[in-house]
Amino acid sequence: MARVLVPMAVLEGESVPLGLMDLLGTMDVTVLGYHVLPEQTPPDQARLQYEDRANEALEDVAEEFRKAGGDADYRLVFTQNRQQSITRVAAEIEAAAHAILGATGEVDRLLVSLGGVTEVELILDFVRELVGDRPIGVTLFLAVGDQPEAEVVDRLQSAATGLEEAGIDVTTHVAGKGAPFDALIEAVTNHDAIVMGEQATTLRSVLFGDESERIAAESVGPVLVVRQQIDEESSGETP
Amino acid sequence: MSEGPAPETEGTNIEGEAPVVEETIETDEATITDDAELERTIGLSGGLAIGIGTMIGAGIFVFPGLAAGRAGPAAAGSFAIGGVIALLVALPTSELATAMPKSGGGYYFISRGLGTLAGAIVGLSLWFGLVFATAFYLVGFGFYAVDTMAELGISIGEGLVIPIALVFGAGFTVLNITGTENAAKLQNGVVALLLSILAVVLVFGMLDAVGLLGEPSTPERFAPFGTMPILTTAALVFTSYLGFAQVATVAGEMKQPGRNLPLAMVGSVLVVGTLYVLTIFVATSAFGSGRLAGMGETAMVEVGRHYLGPIGALAIVFGGLLATMSSANASILSTSRAIYAVSRDAIMPRYASRINLKYGTPHVALGMASGPILVLVATGRVEILAEVASFLHLILYGLICVALILLRRDEPEWYDPAFRTPGYPIVPILGAIASFALIGFMQPASQVIGLVIMVGAAGWYFYYARNVKLRGML
Repeated sequence: MARVLVPMAVLEGESVPLGLMDLLGTMDVTVLGYHVLPEQTPPDQARLQYEDRANEALEDVAEEFRKAGGDADYRLVFTQNRQQSITRVAAEIEAAAHAILGATGEVDRLLVSLGGVTEVELILDFVRELVGDRPIGVTLFLAVGDQPEAEVVDRLQSAATGLEEAGIDVTTHVAGKGAPFDALIEAVTNHDAIVMGEQATTLRSVLFGDESERIAAESVGPVLVVRQQIDEESSGETP
Repeated sequence: MSEGPAPETEGTNIEGEAPVVEETIETDEATITDDAELERTIGLSGGLAIGIGTMIGAGIFVFPGLAAGRAGPAAAGSFAIGGVIALLVALPTSELATAMPKSGGGYYFISRGLGTLAGAIVGLSLWFGLVFATAFYLVGFGFYAVDTMAELGISIGEGLVIPIALVFGAGFTVLNITGTENAAKLQNGVVALLLSILAVVLVFGMLDAVGLLGEPSTPERFAPFGTMPILTTAALVFTSYLGFAQVATVAGEMKQPGRNLPLAMVGSVLVVGTLYVLTIFVATSAFGSGRLAGMGETAMVEVGRHYLGPIGALAIVFGGLLATMSSANASILSTSRAIYAVSRDAIMPRYASRINLKYGTPHVALGMASGPILVLVATGRVEILAEVASFLHLILYGLICVALILLRRDEPEWYDPAFRTPGYPIVPILGAIASFALIGFMQPASQVIGLVIMVGAAGWYFYYARNVKLRGML
């Protein structure tokens, strides 16, 4: 089974919604409890004080994930840079995807965005494994951007065919010109969770945070970010 | 062992707290303990920014006038001597930091290498050493704040130097307790900006000094007051080099510590040492040491004005504000870390290292840092503040060299530094001798205050933590 990394701000009362736990029932899960510290505080100082409490909570969460289906373990990290910790641990456990938490009930329909730098095939493989034989519908989403529209429609169609062969109920959604980000947020209505690839680093992502993070914030629901295949040499650092 | 009245258990302090010692695995990216991981997030540029940012405030923006008044143009030699001593200590510190890449820095090496008594004296002295240093930077900041207002046409007089320093000292404390913004990025930018300002002023100054620009200046005797003042001035200005060991206090958070720690420590000493010597050279050739001395703490402003007109003066005033501010802030943070380090080892109550969940900041330690800082700022005695800070740090530096020699002579199994001091054993022996010797050239008042603090620290150890064992406890 593929493994999904589920980071959670364990000491800030964040919790994993039941809907997401069920959705990830077909996956192995590593819960990454993290606690972000300002630079005034040595991480070790926080560990001294909160380690026991945090691990207790994480053990409970991992237990819930096991009940939901897959294998689950947990790790706890004290950090001054959340993104760096997530990237490092995801690479270490060779996670297929990492989750961004958000509120959701039972998941009936996924919005799967095929944009970004992760290979489309990887995203589709992940969705196939995630859905399994459950009655979860999928909407494939792709924004036209500056490519010819016919080509985009073609790509979506062949992706849809691939999923339908696995017995998944698929519809497609082509967003016209305009900002892909806004189009994706528009499309979120009637979906319970989003699956997307990693996004290229842009000036905007440096200034305002990762696109997947912003989508999670805008859409309220959880987001699963499928990680791109990493070369053995460059160990997960941004290019 | 002890026959003290309190019921004491082996290895604990009088409150029954034992040092927190756990086995850890250090990788380039994180520290892995039994039940948690600690991410390493500071890169080489961050390390250099901490080192340079802590040091540059004093040496360039506060000392030139004071130093030139004492030693004449030979003050450049005083800064060079300080730089060489700093380098002799930075190399052994780098080796120990790569062998023990943990928060706590110099205190950690000494408590593990030389035992609890030496550790307690150094750890508690370091707390006060940083307190004195921070107070010194804050007073420097006050002078620049007053001068800034003067440059802008608002004359408020030197009487406000201390009140301004007090207000900002308290302000930094509050910001550090409640602020969760990432100031590290800001610090990198501040240091880059400072280096650019200085580069421009120094290039103009150098061109002028060697006679390519402007009118030729009459050369002054290099050492008008003889050699002794060069050494006493070196003792005074050594405060300008205290920052490199602050890099070791974040050793636990450095990425690739084996590579980045030595580079950041040695690199920052080389960078600021070169800048200091050039600055003094340029400053004394602009005015001659006598006039420079008359200008006091903010003499550099006049140097900027001399070479670049009002813009130069404004640039230096602005730079001085930034530099003294960044030095003060970096030192407040180091103080809080120093307190945490001794508290984790049960030399002080565990309570001192508490952090609050709301801001995630060590409010108790920050408070214990800034209380004494404000008291010292109120005294306003720049030279004493600087010398006592240097005194307490020099003890630390000397003992770091001693600890290195002892560890190397009989290497424990765990001792496996990624960086080994070149020129061992000569470098650490010279480093230790030079550090202790420099103390001898200070004013008697500074020496007495420094000794009293050390004796007090030793007394605290015998009262509170006599049974705590730290030697070799990793």
